[in-house]
Amino acid sequence: MKIGSFGYLIREGAKNIYVNRLMSFASIGTLVACMLLIGSSILLSMNVNQIVGYVEQQNELTAFLEDDVTDEEAVEIEEQLREIENILDPVYLNKEAVLKEQMSSMGDAADLFEGLEGEENPFPPTFRMHVRDLSLLTSTIMKVSDIDGVVKVIGPDSVAEIVTSLKKAISQCGMIIVGVLLAVSLVIIANTIKITVFNRRKEINIMKYVGATDIFIRLPFFVEGFLLGLISAMIAFGLLWVGYDYILRMISQNPSDWIQQTYASMIQFKDVAVELLCWFAGGGVGVGVFGSMVFVSKYLKV
Amino acid sequence: MIEFVNVSKVYKTGTHALNNFNLRVDRGEFVFVVGPSGAGKSTFIKLLMREEKPTSGAIYVNGQDIVKLKRRKVPYFRRTLGVVFQDFRLIPNMNVYDNVAFALRVTNVPGREIRNRVPYILGLVGLAGKARSLPEHLSGGEQQRVALARALVNNPSLLIADEPTGNIDPDLSFEIVDLLSEINKCGTTIVMVTHEHDLVREFNHRVITIDEGMVVSDDRGNGGYYLE
Repeated sequence: MKIGSFGYLIREGAKNIYVNRLMSFASIGTLVACMLLIGSSILLSMNVNQIVGYVEQQNELTAFLEDDVTDEEAVEIEEQLREIENILDPVYLNKEAVLKEQMSSMGDAADLFEGLEGEENPFPPTFRMHVRDLSLLTSTIMKVSDIDGVVKVIGPDSVAEIVTSLKKAISQCGMIIVGVLLAVSLVIIANTIKITVFNRRKEINIMKYVGATDIFIRLPFFVEGFLLGLISAMIAFGLLWVGYDYILRMISQNPSDWIQQTYASMIQFKDVAVELLCWFAGGGVGVGVFGSMVFVSKYLKV
Repeated sequence: MIEFVNVSKVYKTGTHALNNFNLRVDRGEFVFVVGPSGAGKSTFIKLLMREEKPTSGAIYVNGQDIVKLKRRKVPYFRRTLGVVFQDFRLIPNMNVYDNVAFALRVTNVPGREIRNRVPYILGLVGLAGKARSLPEHLSGGEQQRVALARALVNNPSLLIADEPTGNIDPDLSFEIVDLLSEINKCGTTIVMVTHEHDLVREFNHRVITIDEGMVVSDDRGNGGYYLE
């Protein structure tokens, strides 16, 4: 094919978007709607996961040591704790530190603990730590209990169970919702493209009669599908960005402490922007091009 | 120029469209093809354009057996033909000029040549002043002349006209066939399928009558045509 006609075909493809603007509008509208739905459900499930992750990190594991463990022995225990993969930032509190902590938490009633310093101190030396993955809590507790010098380990068992099953449910639901939306989108998009091509079967037919080669007929549709996909991706991306930022701003202005904490752990759009744009553009262009090619083939057999 | 040798066509539905059909048309001839509905005229055109392949037999156009033509060669074969249909088949959102230029653009003709040939051919069919009009603003006769210009712009050696006057007024029909006769005088072979006996009687050309998938009469054009 000559370079000149290649240019003509590209221009033709771009021009067709304008000439068939009603159908182009329908295709872009459909693609944008589908991408917005899928994009928002992905963002929603990512955020819910993030928030659950935040809750997860608030959970503490406490290991009580034998009463006579010295600070030197505690260093060894800490090393062993750090070797357990699921454990995050173990903090050591010796007997005095635990007592002080207890006293300060009692407030006005702190004098109840008076006289318990030194030999009389009933509190065991303690390690406090966070876990990375709550679903591995039970096995982690067992590993910590196995360390020499550890007497008892307390972990938020019931919370772990709830959080873990919540996380699982969210990711499963998210996947199902995205899957269903994707399937529905494909059907709608396929139909839109089918109508677009059907409307122009006459044109394809005439091209065949005057002796246009298959590639010559396909290329403008290819360009058109490509551009429609790309334009839709850009629009959907822009709308999602504006919408998401708007929601984030609304949340950030809410004075409630709990919501402020939630806000802190929410995903910022710019952190996922590049990835999201790539997915949108890839998906849009892929669907546009593939759809046009498949349905044009139908009318090529003259 | 055109030769059908023992051509039969049976469609998947079981319809026998052509039965052992034989026909020879020489270079530079003007041929009317007539016959009742369902006689096989449309199949004849489809085979001639290589839109369909025969079940058996051979079809030669310009010395080439088009039945054996590879699919990717078909577009190049079609560039040697000009085709006009009853329903004009113009692209509605393109103006007259672009509709004609379209046939050249899709066959890789350079822009300079397009700019020379399109006005010339539009002048030939008497539509030089309507180049910027859209098909919907033209009469049936004018639309058919645009279609004719598109068919001729590639300078084909064979022009196939499938009921070209079927959708236009009788007076204008006469004009169209007159135009075709003029084109024929320049050496283009013309095969025109028609229902209109008046037209056939008016022009003294060869008349081939098809019925039940066979040639039932072949009148070499001395004015003695009559069919019923």
